[in-house]
Amino acid sequence: MSRWLLRGYLALVYLLLYLPILVLVVFAFNDNRSAYSWGGFSWRWFEALFNNRSLMDAALNSLLLAASTATLTMIIGTLTAVALQRYRFRGKAALQGMLFVVMMSPEIVMAISLLALFILLGMQLGFVSLLLAHITFCLPFVVITVYAQLSGFDNRLMEAARDLGASEWQTLRTVLLPMIWPALLAGWLLGFTLSLDDVVVSTFMTGPGFDVLPLRIYSMVRIGLSPEVNALGALLLLLSLISLMLSHLILTRKRS
Amino acid sequence: MIRSAKGLLGALLLGAAVALAGCSKEPEQVLYLYNWSEYMPQEVLDAFREETGIRVAYTTYDSNEAMYARLRLLDDSNAYDLAVPSTYYVNKMRNEGLLQPVDKQKLTRFANLDPQLLDQGFDPQNQYSVPYLWGSTGMAVNGAAVSTDGVTKWADLWDPKYKGRVLLTNDVREVFHIGLRVLGYSGNSTSEEEIAAAYEKLRELMPSVRAFNSDAPRMPYLEGEADIGLIWNGEAVMAQEELPELAYVYPEEGAVIWVDNFVIPKNARNVEAAHKFIDFVLQPEVAAQISEEIGYATPNLPARELLPPEVRENRTSYPTEDDLENAEFQSDVGEALLVYERYWELLKAGH
Amino acid sequence: MLTRLFKPLFDLKAPFRSGVLWLIWGWLILLVLLPNLLVIGVSFLERDPQDFIRFSVTLDNYRRLFDPLYLGVFLRSLHMAVLATVLCLLIGYPFAWGVSRVTPRWRPLLMFLLIVPFWTNSLVRTYAIKVLLAGNGLINSFLIDVGLISQPVQLLYTEGAVIIGLIYVLLPFMILPLYSVFEQLREDLLAASADLGASRWRTFRHVVIPMTMPGVIAGCLLVLLPAMGMFYIADVLGGSRVLLVGNVIKSQFLDARDWPFGAAASVLLTVAMALLLLAYWQSVRRVRQQVAL
Repeated sequence: MSRWLLRGYLALVYLLLYLPILVLVVFAFNDNRSAYSWGGFSWRWFEALFNNRSLMDAALNSLLLAASTATLTMIIGTLTAVALQRYRFRGKAALQGMLFVVMMSPEIVMAISLLALFILLGMQLGFVSLLLAHITFCLPFVVITVYAQLSGFDNRLMEAARDLGASEWQTLRTVLLPMIWPALLAGWLLGFTLSLDDVVVSTFMTGPGFDVLPLRIYSMVRIGLSPEVNALGALLLLLSLISLMLSHLILTRKRS
Repeated sequence: MIRSAKGLLGALLLGAAVALAGCSKEPEQVLYLYNWSEYMPQEVLDAFREETGIRVAYTTYDSNEAMYARLRLLDDSNAYDLAVPSTYYVNKMRNEGLLQPVDKQKLTRFANLDPQLLDQGFDPQNQYSVPYLWGSTGMAVNGAAVSTDGVTKWADLWDPKYKGRVLLTNDVREVFHIGLRVLGYSGNSTSEEEIAAAYEKLRELMPSVRAFNSDAPRMPYLEGEADIGLIWNGEAVMAQEELPELAYVYPEEGAVIWVDNFVIPKNARNVEAAHKFIDFVLQPEVAAQISEEIGYATPNLPARELLPPEVRENRTSYPTEDDLENAEFQSDVGEALLVYERYWELLKAGH
Repeated sequence: MLTRLFKPLFDLKAPFRSGVLWLIWGWLILLVLLPNLLVIGVSFLERDPQDFIRFSVTLDNYRRLFDPLYLGVFLRSLHMAVLATVLCLLIGYPFAWGVSRVTPRWRPLLMFLLIVPFWTNSLVRTYAIKVLLAGNGLINSFLIDVGLISQPVQLLYTEGAVIIGLIYVLLPFMILPLYSVFEQLREDLLAASADLGASRWRTFRHVVIPMTMPGVIAGCLLVLLPAMGMFYIADVLGGSRVLLVGNVIKSQFLDARDWPFGAAASVLLTVAMALLLLAYWQSVRRVRQQVAL
């Protein structure tokens, strides 16, 4: 009984989460530009999207950036969480304080101060500056997520491994990682999502010639947000769902 | 046989390498354009490359404010060659020495531009800017929900029957423009007393205000959330496609006029190409194509003649002289901006 | 001699540990400490109409912040952020628990399904929420069609709409850390508690809640702190009628170009939130100690 109640609840939350997405996808096929009147079914926005080279370029740039950010943040963030949890070193509170400051900094403050810094350092703006900035603002999210899971972790397991002669790296890889992968996955997903959607920091970090998707979309509002953006969203959704299903199938096949 | 295939492959690779080396000897020229997204059709960029061999690298910003802050901060190695600020930002950037003069000798088609939009207060004699597209901020009235009869001036917004149905833009200068004009002052006032008086006047309007929207001011009318209020003419044209009853009114006290202009930042790297590009866009056919695709009015007179009559004669896009009576271009208000900001915060916080 | 000098900097006997610490410190000092020192420095300078800042030291920016106007703005933002956090927790806790009860091989898939909607641009998603809530929108049309109401109800441009938007955007930030702690909740402890005769409620209160507390704290932090700055949700769904901390700081930097004042606001916001959280944790600890006694 309670099991079905729980499943019903899960289904309800998923339904609510996907409701706006459903609206978005439906209107990607709307022949007219409006979101408030239905003008008949049409593929025209998908056609327009595929002909809009610069929008597609920006989308690819953004995906590449988000994936790199998520992966690197996951690595650095996990190491930070491990250090905070396991190592004794001076300045731990300062380190935590800095992570808190990153979360609290309004985006615009971070954007302008980082830009000032990069200019002082004489850096060429573009992919690298974007990547550094994105990793920085995603970092606390990953650290907090991984740290929460580590704090329930039994440190004696690690000590046992060390006593048996494993190096620090071997211990992490063979004892810790297999047990905390849900937090790593969660951290990767958070990083990917945050990076893919950031506008303010990206506005200031990007260089001449390198455009990212959210910036384009926010700017597009001025001349009327076109359903091409919905089409792009629908496409991205479809791709993620397909790759999800495939990876799920492959994984379960492998296990059985 | 195998050997010859390998040989062929080698020759191909060598050829490719030579070709690549040949390319790199004369690097492709690039023009770094900083503009609103989707504010320039891809075909125009392609045609420009076809004609001149210069590739346009197009990057976008989402507000004049962000564009300005960035251009202030960027050093020479990250500079843009062309940007497209709106009216009073040209003024501001010019005053602060962020721009370099436009060499009109290099613009063979400058004479195509509408003299009404040239030599304005924000850039006398257009020393630093060349108009790209222009428009106005006026009043929208949804004829499907309320009567449009007798709605002719900004002061009509204060009518109590519109309680909770008024839309304002989320732009301090535009909103205060109304308050100032209704009281008979200039929309570019820098007098603290006048701004304070406008604030008191606007406070009376607040109970009527449903929302502030500067992302897409047409949306609240289409959503059925607002019946009357501010709108940009380009947005009004777009909204009329779905809601033909929506009327665009040039208020008696005067609309706000804005112009988006090409400017060349001080530290631009490819000034020559920037001029070429401006001149390319000044061709009537190109200007007409842009205006038709983007939906905003072109300042290019011969281009206007190429537009379909229903567009050319649409008063929403191309106002008559009477419509623009009392209308004002926004200009930089300098330090008075802080006074505006302060009253804007008070207005929003409901004090 | 030399090794002793360098040991604190790089310990050759524990190269991994030293490497990790170097990486973290390097990163945070370069990309967090330095820029924030710039911000703090600027907050004590004067505004300059031409060059943004003038090098003369002043406390004026901080004094101006103690205007009741800004206190109101801060309290309002805090109220919204706390409300959104509590609601996210109420929705997210049972959800994360539910997912962790599903057969293991389905769990990663369910987590991915949770986050996939967030890969479409937030602006486009927020516009889709507007399509649901608007006067001419789907919910109102539906209610009118079935005859429940005759006039559209105002849903959009209200505080409720802003809260809905905040929950929608931030829910995964609550669920993901919660899920990762539920995932390692040890079944044997639950079973032991049941064997010892504890009711399900007692097990939940005395075993499940304490064990998932790190996840709750993490989730609340990940929702509360970003919610303070989410001005664009307030703009799009609340019709920009309310002024939030995020709006004030952004407009000080971009519209008013008063960088020192904006920087001061940002510094004070960070300090105020840190103090609030510290005070909260202290009081929680004290209450716990009293209960223990």
